[in-house]
Amino acid sequence: MITKTVKQFFIYLVLVAITIAIIFPIYWTFLVSTKLKIELLDRPVPYPTRFASENYSRPFVKDIYGQYLMNSILVALGNVGLVLLLAIPATYGLSRFKIKGKENLFFWLITNRMAPPAAFIIPLYLIFSGKVLSFIHLIDTHLVLILTYCLFNLPFAIWLLRGTIDSLPVELDEAAYVDGCSNLGILWKIIIPLAKPTIVVTAILTWLFSWNEMLLASILTSTRASTITPAIIKFVTMAGTDWGEMAAVSIVCLIPAFVFLGFTQRYIIAGLTFGAMKE
Amino acid sequence: MKTSFRKQISGWGFLSPALAVIGFIGIFPFVYVVWLSLYEYNVFSLKGWIFTGLGNYLKLILDARFLDSLYKSILFVGVTCGIQIPLGLAFAILLSQQFVGRGVFRTILALPLSMAPVAIGSMWVLITRPAVGPISYWLSTFGITYNISESSVQAFLTTVIMDVWHWTPFVTLTFLAGLTSIPPEPLEAARVDGANAWKTFRYVTFPLLKPIFATILFIRIMDTFRIYDEIWALTSGGPGTATRYVNISLVRTTLAQSDYGYGATMSVFLLYLTVALCTVLLKLISKVRKEYE
Amino acid sequence: MKKLLALSLVVILVVVFSSMALGADMEWWEKAAEPYRGVTLKVIGQSTAPSIVLRDIAAPEFEKVTGIKVDFEVQPWEVEYEKFIRDVTGNTGIYDAAYIEQDAIYAFMQQKWLTDLTELMEKNPQITDPDLDVNDFTKFIEYFKDSNGHIFGFPFEAFLKMYIYRTDLFNDPEAKEAFKAEYGKDLKPADTWEEYEQNAKFFTEWGKKKGIELYGHTAQAKTGYPAVAYEIVESIWPAMGIYNWGINLEKWRATVENGGQVNSDKAKAALRWYVDMLKYAPPDVKTYTWDEESSSVAAGKVAQGLVYCENLAPLICNPEKSKVAGKVAVTKPPTTPEALADAKAGKGYIGYYDGASYSIPYCSKNKEAAWLFIQWVTRKGWDLEYTRLASRVVRKSTLESPEIKDMDIAQGGYFTAFKEYESLFSGAAPLPMHLVIIDIYMNWISKAVAGEATPEVALDGLAKEIDEAMVKLGY
Repeated sequence: MITKTVKQFFIYLVLVAITIAIIFPIYWTFLVSTKLKIELLDRPVPYPTRFASENYSRPFVKDIYGQYLMNSILVALGNVGLVLLLAIPATYGLSRFKIKGKENLFFWLITNRMAPPAAFIIPLYLIFSGKVLSFIHLIDTHLVLILTYCLFNLPFAIWLLRGTIDSLPVELDEAAYVDGCSNLGILWKIIIPLAKPTIVVTAILTWLFSWNEMLLASILTSTRASTITPAIIKFVTMAGTDWGEMAAVSIVCLIPAFVFLGFTQRYIIAGLTFGAMKE
Repeated sequence: MKTSFRKQISGWGFLSPALAVIGFIGIFPFVYVVWLSLYEYNVFSLKGWIFTGLGNYLKLILDARFLDSLYKSILFVGVTCGIQIPLGLAFAILLSQQFVGRGVFRTILALPLSMAPVAIGSMWVLITRPAVGPISYWLSTFGITYNISESSVQAFLTTVIMDVWHWTPFVTLTFLAGLTSIPPEPLEAARVDGANAWKTFRYVTFPLLKPIFATILFIRIMDTFRIYDEIWALTSGGPGTATRYVNISLVRTTLAQSDYGYGATMSVFLLYLTVALCTVLLKLISKVRKEYE
Repeated sequence: MKKLLALSLVVILVVVFSSMALGADMEWWEKAAEPYRGVTLKVIGQSTAPSIVLRDIAAPEFEKVTGIKVDFEVQPWEVEYEKFIRDVTGNTGIYDAAYIEQDAIYAFMQQKWLTDLTELMEKNPQITDPDLDVNDFTKFIEYFKDSNGHIFGFPFEAFLKMYIYRTDLFNDPEAKEAFKAEYGKDLKPADTWEEYEQNAKFFTEWGKKKGIELYGHTAQAKTGYPAVAYEIVESIWPAMGIYNWGINLEKWRATVENGGQVNSDKAKAALRWYVDMLKYAPPDVKTYTWDEESSSVAAGKVAQGLVYCENLAPLICNPEKSKVAGKVAVTKPPTTPEALADAKAGKGYIGYYDGASYSIPYCSKNKEAAWLFIQWVTRKGWDLEYTRLASRVVRKSTLESPEIKDMDIAQGGYFTAFKEYESLFSGAAPLPMHLVIIDIYMNWISKAVAGEATPEVALDGLAKEIDEAMVKLGY
């Protein structure tokens, strides 16, 4: 018979272990960011002995990493906005209306998400540099990433939302319709409020993908709209990897994402139901 | 009659903006890649574009190097998902218990998810480098030589651990969502019937979690197959080819060797492999979902 | 301390004189750039010191003087190439000037991706700097010319890969005595590979005996990454008598049967030697890529090795980045006697002449303005200052100038060694399919280094696959 105290103790033990496992690598990165270059030639002392602020100030103040960070935030937010704007009506359409070939369409959408991103490099580059339609010149703009990420995020969003919206009873629609609501009104007044937790989850996961993506960002942007992820690899040069600065940029890059996630994680808990749990 | 006709048009109306965007950036690349896969085309070739039809695909199936990386990828996906999904579930159950500071721990879980894969790869390089990282130092006090640039097994395991570190929190948070949405009635009923914790879990909780389980499996398998940034930063596919997973092969062929034709073939092949795998899983999810409707 | 003062004085004088010179001939630049004022050039370079100096110092100055804006992008090695290749193959005309490394230029010339600068100069004398003095460039510029002698890129950075050794260790009386006792001869920096191996063994054991972390060798041996293949083809094979990557440049074949040398006994012995020598290197040598060879020296862990001299300056001068500042020197790499004789006779070479140029893609829309920029960054008036900032030498006048003496002393005799041995080094072999086959070399050499195959099996496999690739590419 396991007493409650023993159970609590065991729980805390495991939790502490998990916390250490999660935090240690991040602590180490922070540690590296406080070290001078010469301390990093060998194994550094495992605690901060001084704070090498130039590891932070050089990329963000002297160089333009602050701008890259800003670009990341803009692209991520922009993409979340666009995805929600397009995916919610799309899922509503798929769910509530008789559309021929619905399942096949849905499946085609998902395959876009499954494809290896490396496959898209050249075609997307050709499209956005004006080789396919000559009036398009979107290389190195924020818009190009906001649009491109839709290729992966829209299908995923539709897929996430579909379970929830499907599980909302059609009777609610019909009741509203009888009351004189248009389709759009039903969407706005009934569906969205009820699906809010899942919408929040979708927003979070979309934001995460846009924030963390590197390959396409590196290819489609250069100096003006580059996000911070391709900028991290710039530290790996033929003349030396500046671990201190790279660690500093990694830490700073982590902060907005963590704030965003930490703040909204309670919505994840409430929202991820995939439509199977609502009574 | 009139209502359903109107409804159909409106349905397409709601759907079309999304379809337009995806179509605009999705259809041309897809067509282009398939078309390219039918040619032998290397940017530096003197011969230019040579039409080979399905010749590239035949070559791919017989390509020992590619098959080797495919095998390693499947092994990697199997091991890493096989660890992080049960582990995530276990942690979720743990975190669904009542205790002080629950919210704090849940927030800490969000940390690995907030890091860009390339940053995670670099971070693990820092920890695992034999001369300057802490792990090799500690392990050496136990007499274990830890050097992922020499030992294939150690390198493979390190990539597994890195992926588990990265994604188990996601799995945990997802299962936690599922657990907290379980209505209390079935659990109450089980308790009244005298079932212990394990039996409750097995016959009540877990069946209710099956849809989420299937979904997580789907997402993780799909994404782990596409892994690149972290592994490249950590090992560049080494030592030798021990951690050269399928996406690394693809990127090296397309970008480094500029073999666009063959790279396109690989892309199409990998896409349909993933599609086949996920079709099976999707059917599984639909079947499971139908059981609850 | 005196050296530091002398250096500072030199620096001050240089800055004063160059700014005076700057004022004087700015007139020509202003006039020449008149028709292009307001244009924005897009330049892509690598994220290494010389290009970063251009981005941070030369480009803003250029803008001030000429009114031509420069949008300067820096990327790591592979990314820079990929972006350039995507631009030219897609004919998208995004870049006006690009960093072209010496070993890649043959591929790009052959594909006709670059603008013929000799022609450009002839057609546009009004935007060609009267002071350009093409003959003042070191022999390095030869590696950017096509078979007609036309120039396709102007070098702005050049370095030799030299042999570096710890002067304090090699001069240590105790070490000298122990070495003499064991080998019966004096301890000195290696001239041949046998001596190099003896030194390596000695110092690794010396480190163990003394309980310090010291090794006798270093390498760039990360498997799965191209650096290890480059070390073999750039440095190890030439110094052992195998040139041009072991490929027969007339028949374009690598196997011995077809006239190449890749799977010859000499090549196999060299690769086996390389793999065996790793036991004298630090245990994490297989994580080393481009710069860890020099940073392992900087950490004080290594007694001798080969080093890209773009990494030399901080290693030798900067106590904030190096634990052995002031305690190292450089000289030519060890060779076999035959390789040295070949190099002196002009039939071979003993090491790698590294560097790059800025070239103009054929699809650029601002070729004339880009040409002005390229001349700006390679101009004589600024070259000495640029050498001070980034240690690269491309002009003979800079090498001959009196100011270089102090830099030379501070950098362990690098510039003296440069002058003396430059003729023995060579840029990469003229292989137009370079970027494709380096990946194949990397695959097989990695296998040998990782122990997945013996060096003999690996080179047999490599030679065969190269021949197949050549056929497929149409050679």
